[in-house]
Formats: sequence, C-alpha cells, structure tokens
Amino acid sequence: MIFNIQRYSIHDGEGIRTIVFFKGCPLRCKWCSNPESQTYGLSLMYDHRICKNFGDCIQKGKPAIKFTNEGLSIDRANIKNKEEFRDICLSKALTVIGEDLSAVELLKEIEKDKLFYQQSGGGVTLSGGEPLSQNGSVTYFLDELKKNKIHTSVETTLHVTWNQIKRCLGRIDCFLVDLKHTEKSKFRDYTEGDLELVMTNLKKLNELREHIIIRIPVIPGFNHTLEEMKGIINLSASLQSVDEIHFIPYHTLGSEKYKMLGMDYPYSNHKAISDTELTPYLEFAKLKGLNAKIGG
Amino acid sequence: MPKLEDKMIEIKESKKISKRIHTLREKVLRAKPSVCTERAKFYTSVYKEHEDKPVIIRRAFALQKTLKEMTIFIDDGELIVGNHSSQLRAAPIFPEYAVDWLPEEMDDLDKRPGDAFFITEQHKQELLEIADWWKGKVLYDKGRALMTQELRDIHDTAIIKATGNLTSGDAHIAVDFIKILETGLSGYLEEIKSYAGEVKGYNQEGIRKAQFYDALTIGIQSMSAFIKRYADQAKYLAKQEQDPGRTRELETIADNCTHISEKPPVNFHQALQLTFFIQLVLQIESNGHSVSLGRMDQYLYPFYKQDILTGNITDDQAVELFENTWIKLLSINKIRPWAHTRFSAGGPLYQNVTIGGQTTEGMDAVNDLSYLILDSVGNMKLTQPNLSVRFHKNISDAFLMRCLKVITKGFGMPAFNNDEIVIPELIKLGVEKEDAYNYSAIGCIEIAVPGKWGYRCTGMSFLNLMRVFLAALYDGLDTRSGKTFHKGIGHFNNFNSYEDLFKAWKHQIKYYTRKTVEIDTAVDTALEENVPDILCSAFVDSCIERGKTIKEGGSKYDFISGLQVGIANLGNSLAAIKKLVFEEEKLSKEDLLEAIENDFTGEKAERIQQMLLNFAPKYGNDNDYVDQLLVDAYMEFINELRHYHTTRHGKGPIGCQYYAGTSSISANVPSGSVVPATPDGRKAFTPVAEGSSPTSGTDTKGPTAVFKSVSKLPTDRIMGGVLLNQKLSPASIRNDSDKKKLISIIRTFFADLKGWHIQYNIVSRETLLAAQEDPEKYRDLIVRVAGYSAFFTTLSPDTQNDIIARTEHFL
Ligand code: SF4
Repeated sequence: MIFNIQRYSIHDGEGIRTIVFFKGCPLRCKWCSNPESQTYGLSLMYDHRICKNFGDCIQKGKPAIKFTNEGLSIDRANIKNKEEFRDICLSKALTVIGEDLSAVELLKEIEKDKLFYQQSGGGVTLSGGEPLSQNGSVTYFLDELKKNKIHTSVETTLHVTWNQIKRCLGRIDCFLVDLKHTEKSKFRDYTEGDLELVMTNLKKLNELREHIIIRIPVIPGFNHTLEEMKGIINLSASLQSVDEIHFIPYHTLGSEKYKMLGMDYPYSNHKAISDTELTPYLEFAKLKGLNAKIGG
Repeated sequence: MPKLEDKMIEIKESKKISKRIHTLREKVLRAKPSVCTERAKFYTSVYKEHEDKPVIIRRAFALQKTLKEMTIFIDDGELIVGNHSSQLRAAPIFPEYAVDWLPEEMDDLDKRPGDAFFITEQHKQELLEIADWWKGKVLYDKGRALMTQELRDIHDTAIIKATGNLTSGDAHIAVDFIKILETGLSGYLEEIKSYAGEVKGYNQEGIRKAQFYDALTIGIQSMSAFIKRYADQAKYLAKQEQDPGRTRELETIADNCTHISEKPPVNFHQALQLTFFIQLVLQIESNGHSVSLGRMDQYLYPFYKQDILTGNITDDQAVELFENTWIKLLSINKIRPWAHTRFSAGGPLYQNVTIGGQTTEGMDAVNDLSYLILDSVGNMKLTQPNLSVRFHKNISDAFLMRCLKVITKGFGMPAFNNDEIVIPELIKLGVEKEDAYNYSAIGCIEIAVPGKWGYRCTGMSFLNLMRVFLAALYDGLDTRSGKTFHKGIGHFNNFNSYEDLFKAWKHQIKYYTRKTVEIDTAVDTALEENVPDILCSAFVDSCIERGKTIKEGGSKYDFISGLQVGIANLGNSLAAIKKLVFEEEKLSKEDLLEAIENDFTGEKAERIQQMLLNFAPKYGNDNDYVDQLLVDAYMEFINELRHYHTTRHGKGPIGCQYYAGTSSISANVPSGSVVPATPDGRKAFTPVAEGSSPTSGTDTKGPTAVFKSVSKLPTDRIMGGVLLNQKLSPASIRNDSDKKKLISIIRTFFADLKGWHIQYNIVSRETLLAAQEDPEKYRDLIVRVAGYSAFFTTLSPDTQNDIIARTEHFL
C-alpha cells in the first residue's frame, strides 16, 4: 500500500528521484515524523483548517464522526470501512491515506520523470514506512523497475526478516539504511524494535557487498550526543560496503500530522536540530574516512 | 582556445563594488520618480510651427530640438554619460501618443497604489496647456477612430486590450549594434546620402523616400550634436575639477564623446558609451518599452579583447563600466496611464541584454564578457537590464552554475531562453540560418533577430481567453457587458456532450481571433501614420535601402504576436466540465452556471466550487487529460491565426505573419479583474493564471511535472513566448549539490522537452510578507513579476498578493 508518490526529490539519493512511500512500519519510533506511514491499513486524516463544515462525512460516519465544539470528532476505532470515506469530503479536509496501486500503475507514474532521471543520474527511491515489510508485490515492482532500466534505492530500517530482504536482492542498486543506535535497550525503548535483527541483516548485506549508505536520524534525547554518534559512526566505518553516511537532523514538521490523525505525539516538546549542531558528527565521520553529508 | 572549464577559473568572480558605483547606485535607487515636461514642450512647439510638413519631417525637427535643447548633465563619478530627462528617473511626456489621461490622472499620480510619480503644480499647468492643444490629434484618438464601433466596444469591455500600444507606441525591438559599432554615425550619413542620391522624385514613392532620407539625415546629425554636447560638458567640468583623477576621467569622457559623435569607437569604453547613447536616443524618440540591447557579449567582445591584449583595460574596469551602464539604464524612466500600468506592474522598461547562446557556426558563444556581464548584473541587483541567457545543449555546467549563483541572489535574473527550440523554428519560418543563430531576447522572453526584425515580436493585443470561454457557455453573450458580440451555437444548458462545448468554444475563439487582428491592424495603421520612428528605422536593416520606416515595411523580418491571457484557467475549466458534468455527471449544467453566477457564495455554490477545485485535474501536474484539452482548445486559436497577415504584408519583409504568445507580463491581475467566476473554481475578478504557468497553488507535483505539462503546449507555434515562472525557497538551493540538480532539470526541460523559457524567483514568503509590512526597509527588494523583474514595494497590493500566492516549490 502506497501513501504518497513524491516527484522531484533531490535529497534522497543520487540525482533527481521519485520517492514511493509505502504504508506500514514494524517500528514505532517516538520521534517519527511520518505518523501516517506507521499502520499497514488505511488511515483517516482530518485537517480542521480547511474544513468547510459541509457535513457529508457525518452523514456517512455517524455516530463515529460528529461535530463538537472543537470541530470534528472522529472515533477511528469504530469506523469499519475507511475506504467509504475516500471521496466524501469535497474540500479534502477529511482524506483517506493509503492506496493500493498495481505495479503497472506505479510504473506509469514513475516513467513520467524518466528523462529527468537520465539527465541527472537519478531514479526511484522506495521509502515508507518500511518498504521491505510489504508483501511480495514489492519484489515484482522492483523487477519492473529494473526491466525499465531505472535506478533503485530503498530506504529501510532493516527491521524485517532476512527473507524479506533476500527476495529483493539483485534488484536494489542502493540500500539507504537507517541506523538509529548501537545500544539494544535504548533502541527498544524508543522504537519498540529489536536492534539485533537490524544488526544481523546489516552484517549480511555488508558481506554480500551490497551498496549501502548509512542514514542516521539525529534525535534529541535519543542519540544526539557525541559519544552515541561516535558509536554509530564507528560501527558504520567498520563495514566494508559503507563509504557514505548521511545525518538527518530531527525536525518538527510532523507534529501537525499527529493531530490530524488523532494520535498523540510523544516528541511534541522537542525542538528541531540545526545544521550547525551536526558539525562535530560530520567531522568525526570524515575523520573515519566516510563521505559525510547533512540530509541526502 | 582555452576550454570552458578553464575559462571559468580564469574569470574570477567580481564581487567587489567600487565606491563610485556604490554611490551612483544608491543615488538612482533613492531618486523619486517624477515628471519632466521638457520633451513635451519641444515636441509641441515644433508640431505647432511645422503643421504643414509631413509627419516624418515634423518628428525629425522635434527630435532635433529636443536633443539640442534638453537639459543635460554629468553626475559625479560617472564614466558612462547620458541622461533621459532633466532629472534622474524623471519621466518625459510623449504628448503625441496620448493626452486625455493627463488631466484625468494628473492629481493622483503620486497617490497611485503602484508606480507613483511626483509632479509639481507648475508642471501640471504646463501639461494641461499642452494636452489642450493635442486633443484629437494624438495616436490614441486616431487609432480608436480607425476601429469600427464593434471593435471599440470589444476593446472597451476589455475582452481584447490594446491600450498600451495606443498610449505608448511600439518599440519591442533591438537595433543593429554590430553595424553601428562598425560604421559609426558618419557611416550611416554616407549610406543615407548614397541612397538618397538615387531617389527619383517624379512619383509618389520618390517624394516619400526623399522625405524619409531627409528625416534620417536630420536625425543622425542631431544625435551627433547631442553627443558633442556631452563632450563640451565634460570639458567644462574637467576645468572646474579639483581632483586630478576625476579631471582625467572627465577628459576621457570628453575625448570619447567627441570621437564617437561621428566616428566608430576604437576601444571598449567608447563602444559601450556609444551603445548607451543609441539606447538613450531611442528611448527619447519613442514612448515604447522593451527597447533591447541584443547580444552585448558578442558585439562588444572584439573591443574588449583588443583592449585586454593591449593592456588598455582590466576585467575589473570592464565590470565597473558595465555596472555604470546598468545604473544608467535604470535612470531611464517612462510614465504610463494607470490603465496600462496595471498590465505591466513595477514600471519596467524591459531593456533586455542577452548573453550566451551559440555562434553562427553552432559553437558555444559564451565568452569572457558573458561572465563579466553576468557578474556585473548580479552585483548591481537592479531591475534593469533584464538579463537573458540563451541556453543550448552544449552550454557548460560551469557557466550555468555561475548563472545560478546570480539567480540565488533572488532578484529573478538571469532568465533562460532556449536555442534548441528557437533556432530550428525560426529557420522553419524562413529566417536565414545566420540570422536565426543570432537571435536575442527582446523585452522579457520574446525573441527577434536584432537589427533585422520589426516592432513587437510580441505584445500586440491582449486577448482575455476566459471572457471568450464564458461567451461560449452563454450562446455568445458576454455576461460582463451584457452584449452579444458574436451569436453562439447554443446555450451550455442545452449542450449534450463535451463536443458541443468544444464546438461553441471554436465558434467564439475564431471570431475573437479575427477581432484581435482587426484591432492590431487599426493600431498599426495609426502608428505608421502618426508616430514613425526615425532613428530606430535608420538602425534596422533594410529600412535605409528600401527608403521606408519599419512600420511601412522597412525591416527584413516581420513576425508578431499578441498575448493570450488565462491559459491554465482555460485548460482547467474544460477539464472540470468534461469530467464532472459530462463524464461523471456529478454536477448538473444548471447548477454549475448558477454557482458561477453566484460567485460560489452560499453553501450549494461553495460545495460546487470545492468539487471543481479538488475533483478535477489541473494543468501543471503532468496530467494528460487536462493538458491535452488545453492544447486542443489553444490550437483553435493558433490555427485561426494562420489566416492573417500584418499591415506590412507584400511591402518587403519576410513573414508578415502572426504567431501565438503567452508572455503576458503582469496582465494576469488586471485581466482577471474583469472576468466573472470561472468553471475551474476561480472566484470572480481574482487574477487569472500568469503566462503559461499553472494556476497558483494547483501545481502540487513539483517542478518536473510543471515542466512536462508546459512542454505539451505547441511551443513551436507559440513563438511569441511561453512564459514559465517558478518560485523557489532559498532553502531549496543551499549547496552546490542542490544547484547541480537544478541545472540538471533545466537541461532536461530545454534539451529534451524543448521548453521555451524559465525564470526563477528565489525569495522566501516571509521576506515578501515582511516587505509588504515595511516597504521602506525593502526598497531594493526585487522580484520576478513575469518576464521581468520589478521592485516589490512599487507593486500594487493586488500584484504583491498574487506573487506571494504563487506556489513555492521546495526542492
Ligand atoms: S522507522 Fe521511520 S517510519 Fe517507522 S516509525 Fe520509525 S521513524 Fe516512523
């Protein structure tokens, strides 16, 4: 399931790229700025700022949807068929996030910018959520991309089974691997995931000499200390298949989306990290022989 | 020859601005635009005195008197001299074009919401007397008199607008600077003399030609004398000057002016000075705008190269001379009636300078001067000149990178034109290969061959497409004026299919296309008979040879275009109706019309507006459905246009044809202000979309999708220009990697998709909002308005809001 296709992305890999965002993620990072990507099924998003109070959604969704003094109240747990709401709201204040697109449909959208990929050395990046945790159709989709000679990158947490990775091997030109921490307990506390799984997969990929770029989300209160960063950088530098590392500073652009999805944002009190705060990390990574960048 | 990459290292970036330039720049920026009555007085007295003479002779005498008697001055520190009127940034009045607006608008000139002018009580009195004498004798009246009642009505209800051409005249031209610098003014006198000698006076043509040559001779001689006045002034100032350094400079100015007053220039400084004088007198002669300088990096290069080789000049000196010239260009000012100013906000004169492109052999023409011009324009950050770069597929990344450096300064320059589409299409139109490779941008984005092309390669009438579209829905009725100019084939409520709607569109657009040509013909005839340009004709090939002014058919080529406004709205309206009314039947015809008539107010109409906005595809998102509907509809106009010729047809020039054009400058705001609500969900009287750009805020798929949509337009048939403006936030091009990616999409757009033009506005929304709040602080903030840049704070609030609303792409 896809939740967004973004054309002309220039900060996620080589050249000009189209990013396909897959819906569903095995982790629940507390800082996550894409909350709509976490669940595998459809989500209902509501933006009160553009709501015109036409009330069509209430007709359809009562009593789970109703007007209150603070705008619309949506009891998402009690809405069985979210699909029914897709074209209900004329002003698109209430939207259904998530769409099942076939590989053919996806390819059609992606081919639109083919000339731009060719000129710039770009291609497609699969992102999410966790694209590798989707069903087998991702493999088929990657196959189609390769048949059409389109460069493929996958942005992944590697928090998936080895089998889920294995079936895609040979079709992914570049792995953009999220490496969040080196400490098992901290990883579990902040992501609900198991670092062991990530590390095993990463080591296997390294042994297979896949092209890997490490991307570190720099998160206040989680890994934003020189000591913790050194740990991640040292680990990355020890992998032969890695020569490039990206630091992605925490930003707060996702906080509004939590409200729109009716979710609580555990990280709502944190401030964005500025580029300058990353300088020591960049320097250390360079010292370790890595090609280091802010963003992508 | 060094490789281009090496060249870029050679030409180090010139960032320092000398103190002299800094002072001159501040001075011109601080000068409050005012009104100068000198030219108006001279022209009026000569016209009165010589009422018996043919108009061309009258104009020659009037120009002569003006150049002889107008106030001249040389400012402290300047190295390039010449002034347009009695004060810095004062606008002369051109009474022979239009006067009615003067008494009407005089008292409010300093209170205009945009482009205000200061005027004294004494000047008001003088102008009132002048206006009184000219009543009924001016271009505006004569042009209107040539229109039928029907045309006047169409014009007055603003479905077709040509006011600018009637109040300001022609221009939109670049003269033959190569020849001017080669032969000097004396060369022209000799040439005129030899052709005049062959004139046989026994027929009408002979008499006309003789008058023409007399006028040219007076014109050129007056110009020589004008330049000599500056030599005298410089000599006079040199004598008073205490500072020996400045004394030497003034002596150089005097020597330069003496020399070029007749002879061709012998060094770079003289060549640039003569170039500026030419520009200046053309701006005194005619009230038009978009008088352009052509390919400056090419025709000045031989002078520069020789001076560099002989050690006569350094790059820093050359940059300083350019900077001085740009300041001078900004000092030239013209005033327009408010009705016209609204269409071209920010008081621009669109004095275009073009650099880059290819040589006639198809080699990359970027040279050291291209870099120096680029840097000097970047240093100055002024609205003039309007700098264009000719892209071609072998242009170096190094040069494009340097262009982006200037673009990121955020004043909208340079813009890019594309050789890959322009040159082959010009050749197809019958332009000789050598000329096609030598084209330059004129004004903002339009193109012509300098010195060989007639006026107005674009910029004839403005056709308001959405008014025509609404008439197609209402059986020919123009709901705004209540008039039916052209009975339709039925009412929308009775249409059974999209095909019916399209037929109705076809029926109306054919009619209005013909009307634009009829209006242009009346305007052109009036221009030819009433305000022929003398010097401008002298400097355009083959006027001297044929003994004709440009308007009479003197130029080698003649292709023109009007401007069609509301491109994106047309496509979006068609798509909304096709999909929602005819295919999905979500919306009834009656309800749609009712919603439009209610301007989308009331809940029912509001719901319909949201449906139109959110449930129909929009142009600018690479969606074939809507893009193709737009192309089909626009092609109806383009195909109809093929049947018509300009007034010069059969009189000498190659072409004499029309093509389409979308470089509608800021006309989208006033054009929208006369259009009721439209089926694309647009509210009544709000701006329509600008140029070929998507409607503000609807291009949600980013710049590549916009490029794809725009490139689906029949660009080869829109040689009047396909204007695309993209706004970027500064954050999106922070580092070299971002810039490289931007260069890469520009390459794809031009080399592969054969786009016509692109320009970037790189100003953050916050900055614009702040400038709206506190205009004093931001008086030098420049934004790209359409095909040109303007000082943001001089724009009317409407135009300001429109710019703020345009989609900002985050890369
Ligand atoms: S891995 Fe990414 S998408 Fe998944 S929860 Fe964490 S931040 Fe969100």
